[in-house]
Amino acid sequence: MNLALVSRLAWRDLRSGEMGLLLVALLVAVGTVTSISLFVDRLQGALVQESSNFLAADRQISSSQAIPDDFFLRAQSKGLETAQTLVFQSMIYGGDNNQLVSVKAVDEAYPLRGELIVADQPFADGYPINGVPAPGEIWLDSRLFPALGVSLGEAVEVGMASLRIGGVLVAEPDRGGSMFDLGPRLLMNLQDVPATEVVQPGSRLSYRMLLAGDNDELETLKEALPLQPNYRWASIRESSSSIGNALDRAESFLLLGGLLGVLLAGVAVGLSAHRYAQRHFDHVGVLKTLGATPGQILRGFMGLLLLVGSVAILLGLAAGGLLHLAIVEVLAQFLPVALPVPGLRPFVLGAVTGLICALAFAMPAFVHLKNVAPMRVIRRDLGVTPLSRWVSYGAAAIGSLVLLVWYTNNLWLTFWALAGAVVVITVFGFVAYWLLRGGRVAGMQAKSGWRLALSGLQRRRQENTAQILIFGLAIMLLLVLVLIRTALIEEWRSQIPENAANHFVMNIGMDEVDGVGELIEEFATQGEFLYPTIRGRIVAINDLDAKAWRAQKPQVRRRMSSERNLTWMRTLPGNNALTEGEWWDVGDARPQVSLEQEYAQEMGLTVGDNMTFDIGGQRIDAVVSSMRTLQWESLSPNFFIIFSPAALEEFPATYMTSFFLEPENKSFLNTLLSQYPTITVIEIDSVIEQVQTIINQVTQAVELILVLVLFSGCLVLIASIQASRDARMSELALVRALGGTRRLIAGSLTGEFLILGAFAGVVAVMGAEVTVAALQTQVFELSASVHPWIWLLGPLCGALIITVVGLLGSRSLLDSPPMNVLRGLN
Amino acid sequence: MNSDLPMSRIVVSAEGVTKVVPTAAGQLVILDGIDLEINAGESVAIVGASGSGKTTLLGILAGLDAATEGAVRLVDADLSRLDEEARALVRGQYMGFVFQSFQLLGSLTALENVMLPVELRGDRMAADQARQLLTKVGLQERVDHYPRQLSGGEQQRVAIARAFASNPKVLFADEPTGNLDTQTGEVICQLLFELNQEFGTTLILVTHDRGLAERCDRTIAIAGGKVAL
Ligand SMILES: Nc1ncnc2c1ncn2[C@@H]1O[C@H](COP(=O)(O)OP(=O)(O)OP(=O)(O)O)[C@@H](O)[C@H]1O
Ligand SMILES: [Mg+2]
Repeated sequence: MNLALVSRLAWRDLRSGEMGLLLVALLVAVGTVTSISLFVDRLQGALVQESSNFLAADRQISSSQAIPDDFFLRAQSKGLETAQTLVFQSMIYGGDNNQLVSVKAVDEAYPLRGELIVADQPFADGYPINGVPAPGEIWLDSRLFPALGVSLGEAVEVGMASLRIGGVLVAEPDRGGSMFDLGPRLLMNLQDVPATEVVQPGSRLSYRMLLAGDNDELETLKEALPLQPNYRWASIRESSSSIGNALDRAESFLLLGGLLGVLLAGVAVGLSAHRYAQRHFDHVGVLKTLGATPGQILRGFMGLLLLVGSVAILLGLAAGGLLHLAIVEVLAQFLPVALPVPGLRPFVLGAVTGLICALAFAMPAFVHLKNVAPMRVIRRDLGVTPLSRWVSYGAAAIGSLVLLVWYTNNLWLTFWALAGAVVVITVFGFVAYWLLRGGRVAGMQAKSGWRLALSGLQRRRQENTAQILIFGLAIMLLLVLVLIRTALIEEWRSQIPENAANHFVMNIGMDEVDGVGELIEEFATQGEFLYPTIRGRIVAINDLDAKAWRAQKPQVRRRMSSERNLTWMRTLPGNNALTEGEWWDVGDARPQVSLEQEYAQEMGLTVGDNMTFDIGGQRIDAVVSSMRTLQWESLSPNFFIIFSPAALEEFPATYMTSFFLEPENKSFLNTLLSQYPTITVIEIDSVIEQVQTIINQVTQAVELILVLVLFSGCLVLIASIQASRDARMSELALVRALGGTRRLIAGSLTGEFLILGAFAGVVAVMGAEVTVAALQTQVFELSASVHPWIWLLGPLCGALIITVVGLLGSRSLLDSPPMNVLRGLN
Repeated sequence: MNSDLPMSRIVVSAEGVTKVVPTAAGQLVILDGIDLEINAGESVAIVGASGSGKTTLLGILAGLDAATEGAVRLVDADLSRLDEEARALVRGQYMGFVFQSFQLLGSLTALENVMLPVELRGDRMAADQARQLLTKVGLQERVDHYPRQLSGGEQQRVAIARAFASNPKVLFADEPTGNLDTQTGEVICQLLFELNQEFGTTLILVTHDRGLAERCDRTIAIAGGKVAL
């Protein structure tokens, strides 16, 4: 066939709506993928940016030693930005008071990511500022002003230097970077550090080198620098595991969402292409009797597909771009982060997706057309040889595989999603088939509308099985997404519940416990725990002294005998889980310890080993009776070593507790510290706030993707109902012609869709449970669970949605006189 | 009449054509060794009881379907030796079709349907040539109408115009009047023979209509899968 004829046929098909659904399905495939990946691209960029703020950089190198100049030179030669900070604790003097503060000295380049927030008055609202304190100047936390009794412009002594208070510091991006950075903050210029003379051999210093720039350059730098053993490299994922995990999972989820979007769109394309082809079997038969060769037919319809495909891709790219702009616009108020400009990748992705969809899902149906026997003109029941049908399904399968792997870059995710789909198709194909068989028995007793519906379902049992599978697959994928989303968000939220303790208090003397408790009760909300802490160190294991033990176990890398915080407890803390051995009875008189599993492994310790500790010069023996895992994500204190009460109860201890403080009551810390000057308060409120912001953003992104994929899911439902419309239509037209009332037909259609939908719901729920369990355990590292509510909701929603969509799609069939329907078929 | 095809020349011949189809109950023999020869310009009616295999035979003669055994020749080409690709070319070049159920393309107008076979051949057909054909079948007023806007008889007339558009050597018709009332059937019949005369086409038609069969030069009866004598 020549081009003019092809384009004329295409135009005719479009105008008569024959090509419409295929065009829309392709358009939606391209549009969905483009908009999702545009958005994911931008959001990922934004999230990485936001979380980089957490480090005030893209990467950090930290050490207790000064960072060598060589490191800076090498980084700068790679075109990377660098900055330097130094954190130490120091007593400062101002007015008549003194105060232990955490000093952070920074250079002019600080911060590389995020911004410093300052205020004009203590406790006033802050605003972002460019730059750092000038030499000779310092910025102070609001609560240091009343604590020291100073005001802006006055001088404060830091070590040997006298520095002028130039501003009020409200927030710094990497405040959360190290949790045990004690005391209120003093920010000063790095150039003033020598003058303070606080940096002496033996003083506890924390040097940081901040790095920002191209990701690949950063990674090559990491390989090139002699980091071991003194310098620690950190990216956001390593430095804050809760944010790192949230990001990882969000990324996986967004990919999963995109993947399901592609899958659903592909199914819609395949369905509408099949319908198109089926409607053209007669057409091709006629063309063939008129002398069109199979080659001509093939070239002609391929040309047509290419034409429609190109139009759909162009429109889809435009639609995807617009949709994404609309999303960004709508979400602008919820997304505090400025989204970076997207690259070309999403558009390429969209276009290639359209192309692959057209080739893998639509082309086989079109290739079928060339195999139509011309004899069909005379004998309509002649179908297409089954061999080529297998070829076509194979092509669709391979096409989706290529698409999925390429799109997600994640073999595991693809594997589990596909495994779920395959299980559904094979196992639940049988289920659907038997459900339909069962329906016949029920149908014998039913009233006319239902009987018609059930007999209709019976007659086209194969088509209906396929349709249940397709409906089921679409609903299943949506359920999977909803369930995973819910699990993820719950998990994130539970990590940091609202009003989670945002301050820790340590070093509370035994005689101070009650007083501190009362004070906290008055101004804040007391946290859940009150732990005794006792300093001590390991001296021997199984009667071998620590050095000898270490020599015996090559895997031991830690310094065993350094002093650490020990505690004793009656019951296992909530966020710990036993992995081995047993927790002690409260009354058990034997001294025992419970060890964190990985710590024990590194030390070469197992249950039953005997440990000897030195606590304040006194030796004490305890048997290792259990191993535990900790939840590092939760922001509560974790102990490697926990003793049974019998072991440590008698020792003098200091206590540690936590409380939640409203941000506006921040000056309570001054009251607390002035009454109990020896206690230590650790502020983690800014860390918590940052984590919450990021998690909220991720949650919104996840929900947005869900909406987009829901849309593709609905499209599949429509395409699938359309695909079966013709068969249904000719039957119902006949029934109407034979005197079936409009009501009877409406009833029969409703019945048919209700049953199809409910069966599809059952299939979907089973598939979703299996897939979600697999995804949760294999990809998202959550624990699997059964969801009883979806067993009711799935079939109900399936029946409802499919009936509504189905009846809407068949309305014309009900409303037009039967004659039109009969004529339209010819 | 076509000068290069003398009356006595054989255009269509069948030699021992057998058609066997597999069914659930075993092999079903529909045609069992059919031999026949049809001369250029001749008009032949294939008759027989319902289910006797007339349509099957027509399909095989026209190369729409392949015989299980035996040879079918069109002019010099052995259809049974050609693949579908080549058979399609032969059809487009030499054959025209009229079916019981009209078989127009619903997405094309009457005029475009008529022009289709020529366009498929890669040639261009002037629109007024097609219009002339439609005028011949009495549809000059309906050239831009779609098939669904035409009655059955009108659709069949478009199908006849289309069949002659490519100036075929052989015209195959399977119960061309089967779906029409007697009067319309008569009109269609008239048209078919008129155009057949004008174009010098060989006409092979399957019919239950005694009147139609009698107007043909020859009648071939099929019974029990064989040509009845
Ligand atoms: N593909 C097939 N599979 C099974 N049986 C077939 C097939 N094709 C034809 N038949 C059978 O072969 C016989 C002849 O069919 P055919 O259509 O040629 O009859 P006919 O003479 O045209 O009948 P009618 O006058 O009713 O149109 C019928 O019994 C038909 O059922
Ligand atoms: Mg017949």
